[in-house]
Amino acid sequence: MSSPTTTATPRSSAIAPPARIISRRRRDNINGWAFAAPFLAFFLVFLVWPLLYGFFMSMTGKSLTGANDSLIGFANYAEALADSDMWRSLGNTLYFTVISTVPLVLVALVMAALLNVGLPAQWLWRLSYFAPYLLASTVVSLFFTWMYNPQLGLINDSLSKIGLPKVAWLNDPNVAMWAIVIATLWWTVGFNFLLYLAAMQNIPAQHYEAASLDGAGAWRQFFSITLPQLAPTTVMIVLLQVLASLKIFDQVYQMTAGGPSGSTRPVVQYIFETGFTGYRLGYSAAISYIFFGLIVIVSVLQFFIARRRSA
Amino acid sequence: MRQLDIPTGKHVSRRQLLAGSAALGSMILATGLTGCGGTANAAVHDIAFWHLLSGGDGVKMQALISAANKMTPGAVVHPTVLAWGPPYYTKLAMASAGGRPPELAIMHASRVPGYAPGGLIDPWDMGLLAEHGVTAADFAPRIWEKSQHNGQPFSIALDSHPFVMFYNTEVAAIAGMLGADGQLQAPASPQEFLETAREMQKVTQAHGLSFGYLGSGSQMWRLFYTLYKQHGAAMELTPGQPMKVDRDAAIESLEFMASLFDDTVAAKSGDISTGIAEFARGDSGMLFSGVWELPTLQKAGLPFDAATIPTLYGTPAAYADSHSFVLPRQLNVDDGKRRAVYKFVSDVLKGSLSWAQAGHIPAYQPVVQSQEYQELTPQIHYANAADIIAYDPESWFSGSGSDWQTFFAEHVQNVLLGRDKASDGWDAFEHRTNTLLSRPNPV
Repeated sequence: MSSPTTTATPRSSAIAPPARIISRRRRDNINGWAFAAPFLAFFLVFLVWPLLYGFFMSMTGKSLTGANDSLIGFANYAEALADSDMWRSLGNTLYFTVISTVPLVLVALVMAALLNVGLPAQWLWRLSYFAPYLLASTVVSLFFTWMYNPQLGLINDSLSKIGLPKVAWLNDPNVAMWAIVIATLWWTVGFNFLLYLAAMQNIPAQHYEAASLDGAGAWRQFFSITLPQLAPTTVMIVLLQVLASLKIFDQVYQMTAGGPSGSTRPVVQYIFETGFTGYRLGYSAAISYIFFGLIVIVSVLQFFIARRRSA
Repeated sequence: MRQLDIPTGKHVSRRQLLAGSAALGSMILATGLTGCGGTANAAVHDIAFWHLLSGGDGVKMQALISAANKMTPGAVVHPTVLAWGPPYYTKLAMASAGGRPPELAIMHASRVPGYAPGGLIDPWDMGLLAEHGVTAADFAPRIWEKSQHNGQPFSIALDSHPFVMFYNTEVAAIAGMLGADGQLQAPASPQEFLETAREMQKVTQAHGLSFGYLGSGSQMWRLFYTLYKQHGAAMELTPGQPMKVDRDAAIESLEFMASLFDDTVAAKSGDISTGIAEFARGDSGMLFSGVWELPTLQKAGLPFDAATIPTLYGTPAAYADSHSFVLPRQLNVDDGKRRAVYKFVSDVLKGSLSWAQAGHIPAYQPVVQSQEYQELTPQIHYANAADIIAYDPESWFSGSGSDWQTFFAEHVQNVLLGRDKASDGWDAFEHRTNTLLSRPNPV
């Protein structure tokens, strides 16, 4: 719909007086707002309003039962900053983000590179790498809960067959988070893989031809051409991945419910528990805002890093 | 009620779905007919009833509901079954806070203190219940006392379901542990208990006792609280004050629990279902478990009996909870519906013998005193538990399936696995509890 306006504008501006231009602009504006209105209404009602109301709630002692609705200022924030459980769950979320983002980016890169070398039946590889991403988190959690079962699970069974000791995957506080990372890796690596593969296939073939004429081997080409060319994609993947990993909740809630010994409880689960099973909506809103602040900081940092790189 | 976290009983819920849709169909038919007649007193009341009973318990509850529905033509009770634990209580609290809860719900008696003061549930009108022949005198004293809050009955208990001991009679007989009455000679001290278990281990060649606990705070808490209360010690949770507790008794109980898991007395680690499976296979002589596992064990076909958990520290005590009926607060109470609810509850209480077959001890004493119940074994061998049951200490955060029990697991699981000292685990849990007590009470 933009093309008729753009072609019409130069002609009419040449003939029509300034007043008509303004009224035309106003009409365009009204049309624009009309088109944006459905989204805008949705945005205001379901995003802006909850955001504001949540912030207001974090200033009150509001509970699920409706008790103590009074304003208490920043008392919830003060309590949260001194709450060791909040710091611990926040630490768990950050820990998961670090140990999941690294393999989720690297493994995706390796998978895409292997495929890009020119394996036969590319569509089959692409499909099988991406297929797990289409599953619901509940399905993935159930699969892995069974595979991690200490007595009956596929993984421990295979380990014992090759003479390795059994591992209490989801019951050992030192291992549980890694078990969740492995499940998450299997589940979501396909998305990053697809982004990498698309980026790789966009690198002009002349670069490689020129490099091979100059005598560069496959490894040299990978490190000197492929990786630098992928840099913008890598920045984007890391950004998306960090934000996705910070939101971790589903798999943990379904596989360990935060255990053993709270070693996998992410901050989102702590927010859920304080608010819904612990009734303290105001307090859980305060923790959400602390977490929100953290995400904003991470996003801003990444934005600046990305801008400096592209500049 | 499956107390396990593994989703099972798919066909049960399907059956309930079918029963539910059949009931719905008949309801539509019935309302259609009354629409033609146009008489007010022929109106059918639809009662929404939420509960958290699945598996074998769910089937029994569905039978009780169907029977009650047949007895009362003027009301149809539609059950909604939700998952045990936090999912159920979260939904019930939110529905009540939103003003559109079901007319009737089942709660654990231990969770009522988290609901009654916040105005999420209404007290029962005993006068109205008396019209259907149910009075305070019909309940065992400890159960009745538990249903009171600020002098008003906020819950009507259907049962008490204690934590008990099942034992393999064949194993016990070979080990020479059976008395003249054919029942296990109960050990009377921690030492005697360990000896009993070791004797049984010699028979089974695997373990003496089965007790799976990994990942389940509820399960660890049930045994711990039984042993703790056997010390005759009290535990009180008052907001704004530190927890009142006998620390030595708590640590002694935890140390005894940890001493069980030596791979002779009991398996070093395992979850609830592993423990039950081991006992059902005959690889152990005893099983600590809730009474609700009785149907599972009966299906396994092994020779077994049951008793309360042996009194090891002088005072008989058994951790227990009750499935209790509560009236979630309505924005507008429909008098006809509420009367139908009272009728339904009294019908279910009177028919609770079938509930006893699922292992639970009926709260309604006329059923307990009936000849049929007195002949029910092994139920009758632990029916004395009703006199020694100990409910969770009262507070807004304690009770069955609460986060507090999860916190208990966080600090105690490593003690039971032999990684932490009992005193460290306990102190950490006590500290955590004191933090909760120091926070504003949200109800």
